Amino acid sequence: MAVMRIGHINIRVLDMGAARHHYENVLGLLPQAEDAAGNVYLKGWDEWDKYSVILSPSDHAGMNYVAYKVQHDADLDLIKGRIEALGREAEMVAAGALPFCGRALRFNMPSGHLMYLYAEKEFVGKSVGVTNPEPWPDGLNGAGAHWLDHCLLMCELDPEKGVNKVAENEAFFREVLEFRLTEQLMVGPGHVVQAAAFMTCTSTPHDIAFVGGPQMGFHHASFYLDEWSDVLKAADVMGKNKVKIDVTPQRHGITRGATIYFFDPSGNRNETFAGLGYLAHPDMPVITWTEEEIGSAIFYHTGELKESFATVYTEGV
Amino acid sequence: MSDYQVEIRDTAERYPCGGEHSLLKAMAALGRKGIPSGCHGGGCGVCKVRITEGEVSTLVMSCTHVSEEEKAQGYVLACRAFPRSDIALEVVGGMRKCITRRRYGFV
Repeated sequence: MAVMRIGHINIRVLDMGAARHHYENVLGLLPQAEDAAGNVYLKGWDEWDKYSVILSPSDHAGMNYVAYKVQHDADLDLIKGRIEALGREAEMVAAGALPFCGRALRFNMPSGHLMYLYAEKEFVGKSVGVTNPEPWPDGLNGAGAHWLDHCLLMCELDPEKGVNKVAENEAFFREVLEFRLTEQLMVGPGHVVQAAAFMTCTSTPHDIAFVGGPQMGFHHASFYLDEWSDVLKAADVMGKNKVKIDVTPQRHGITRGATIYFFDPSGNRNETFAGLGYLAHPDMPVITWTEEEIGSAIFYHTGELKESFATVYTEGV
Repeated sequence: MSDYQVEIRDTAERYPCGGEHSLLKAMAALGRKGIPSGCHGGGCGVCKVRITEGEVSTLVMSCTHVSEEEKAQGYVLACRAFPRSDIALEVVGGMRKCITRRRYGFV
């Protein structure tokens, strides 16, 4: 009944050649297909479905949509019913509408971001296979990212106007999609405004996150590495390739993850993220960060919020 | 390539910039300030400037931030503009502002 895991993200890029070099040689994703419209399909070596990233050529950067996978095809009908019971629209699209996928449910989050759910995608297998596998494959490029881990979406937040799309998304994901809140950031007088919500549908600290800002957008897509040494090597790879790093290797307070934030050649933000901070079992108590500690929540070592982190992002739709 | 001179009119900041570096990259590498620094890829729009003197060549920019009409009027994203002469510019972009001016954490 619940959503199983993140499936793929569709990112718009201004220069496909530069984008492919970034995602394939810096991040280390593996190309799987290219279609007639110029879309490029990529996956991490440790993923078994056909792709987790679609790069689409465009004249403006940003995210088109994010797609999550459900375990059973019947879950799509169940969730469609829940969305419609709220008076919101949800459309079932035929197999192939999402490339290499079965039928899918298409709807907008309360924040306006476009989301798909699907149950079936073409299987290709991990690079190491399933029979007596090696722990990692030879020939990995760059950071050798394992998989697409999560995305963070900017949601309109304007308490003076009574607008809080972070809270609306949190409620939607909890009630309709059965995600669980793991961590939140509470701000304003009395700390009653939810300015950030981190949610899981697995047992990692987050499979999706929502942060409040003046307008909705796409903050980052995150790719998983094992540990600090992999993060530092990834930073070397970025330096070698003159990648624009937003935040050098740092610990997050939220999720306890080790992180680097950087931009792809079109200005879309990426993250390489390492470590399982904790197991977010269904009965884990929610973690709350308060406004005064925002700096430490995001950047635990420096304890200071970086201007660009909060204000620089590409379009979310 | 020889260095051109770039002047940020708003702050009277001046710095050298070779033809192979973007206006923003040269500024940032020298630790100078004036043009907001964001994604450096033409996607976020914070480094939008208007060239008031001189010529630049540009790489692709997100059309949301600089339209064709604006390009014709001298607007560019500084991270995608490379000098072909000495340059003077005005800063147009900036970090996204909010009326509440950070009363609510990120916002």
